[in-house]
Amino acid sequence: MNAMAPRLTCAGPWQRVATGDDAVAVAERAALGTTARVAVWPPEDLGAACATVDDVLAVLDRQASRFRADSELSWLHAAGGGVFMLSDGLAEAVGVALAAARWTAGRTDPTVGEALISLGYDRDFAAIDQQCGEPPAMPAAVPGWRRVRLDGPLLRLPPGVRLDLGATAKGVGADRAVRAAISAAGHTGGVLVSLGGDIAVAGTPPREGWPVTVAEEPDPGGPPPPQLVRLADGAVATSSVTCRRWRRGGVMMHHIVDPRTGRPAGGPWRTASVAAATCAEANAAATAAIVAGGQAASWLTSEGLPARLVGHDGEVLCLGGWPGVSGRLIPVPAGNHVYVGTRSPGGPR
Amino acid sequence: MDADRGQARRDSIRNVRRMSNWTAAALVVGTGAAAVALAHHPFPAATQVPAAAGQAGGARTQTGGTTAGPQAASGPQVTHSVATTTASGVAVTTTTHTVNGKTVVTQVRNAPAYADN
Repeated sequence: MNAMAPRLTCAGPWQRVATGDDAVAVAERAALGTTARVAVWPPEDLGAACATVDDVLAVLDRQASRFRADSELSWLHAAGGGVFMLSDGLAEAVGVALAAARWTAGRTDPTVGEALISLGYDRDFAAIDQQCGEPPAMPAAVPGWRRVRLDGPLLRLPPGVRLDLGATAKGVGADRAVRAAISAAGHTGGVLVSLGGDIAVAGTPPREGWPVTVAEEPDPGGPPPPQLVRLADGAVATSSVTCRRWRRGGVMMHHIVDPRTGRPAGGPWRTASVAAATCAEANAAATAAIVAGGQAASWLTSEGLPARLVGHDGEVLCLGGWPGVSGRLIPVPAGNHVYVGTRSPGGPR
Repeated sequence: MDADRGQARRDSIRNVRRMSNWTAAALVVGTGAAAVALAHHPFPAATQVPAAAGQAGGARTQTGGTTAGPQAASGPQVTHSVATTTASGVAVTTTTHTVNGKTVVTQVRNAPAYADN
């Protein structure tokens, strides 16, 4: 911890992180199977922001986790299909997932849940046997997002369809959390919330924007080096096939499923970082870019989204105004494709 | 009778013409005064078109406006990275310390991730 930093309290298991700047306060904790991080200015707002983010993430976990037997989503799956009246929060999360599927032309699809399970991703990633010798099962067919109907809070889920909101849920969580935190601060100062590297900001950013590192994990040990960019509004998210990998019978698996095949996505890009007005949109676009493969650049360009694509050979392609050099502001486009038909992002709890 | 009626009609037309002349003159004077006033008192700054986003650091994309821009100038100066966007679900803790005047950056991976390379 920075010795010069003011003494601040964090809610629960939040740990202060010293970044070298006393003008902002940063803390992080384990959450949703990954790490949540909060950065705020003025630093005195850190405790309230952390407590608010805790509340938001706890609610989201109870709504949308497919790894919790007591979550609302697991309850739907256990019922084996039917018509359900969802909570406002889960209705929003499912609505965003379906809107993202429509927007990305099915490159993200919330009905890949059964396919992910057949590939071996059937529990929290930390609990997966990552060297399982059993051969992978035949990938389960992806029913397709068009078979799921959502009318307000009313969901019609066909029997056997399991939802996985992984392409959008963390983005939804970051959107909700950052809006709740800036609201708790009385809309003064600025807040950044990161959920496993999917980042949303709200309020007034630091001068020149929030400094954010764009990196691959694990360290590729070669090009490209991490890049520092600045985010003044909106969100940025990264998807990659270089992590959350496991073996099944000698076959390497990863967590981004191509809905067209039910198998881990191939294609020329190993990592995609995308900026957008909301984190759910950035999250969906980054996953869609990996799945789109050779069509990723043209799709991202047509959508006007700033993006940084990293090929399997380490070559970097910057699109839509994504800065080619470190330290520059990402020009985040206005607009919204995934909260269409739902309440405002972060509204429903 | 007809002569009286004709005289009255001519008087009426004359009055209308006189009023029209006065009205036209008033309009000319009023328009001129308004132009002079506007020339000396332009619209207040608050009604001017907002400055381009690029002036405050936000660039404009090929497809439209940006949400980044005017806000970027009013917060504190922050130079070190506060978060890392990386592969979904894996977070990296970046800690920066200053040791003997040198900046030391430490990155720690938080979530378990497996890779074959």
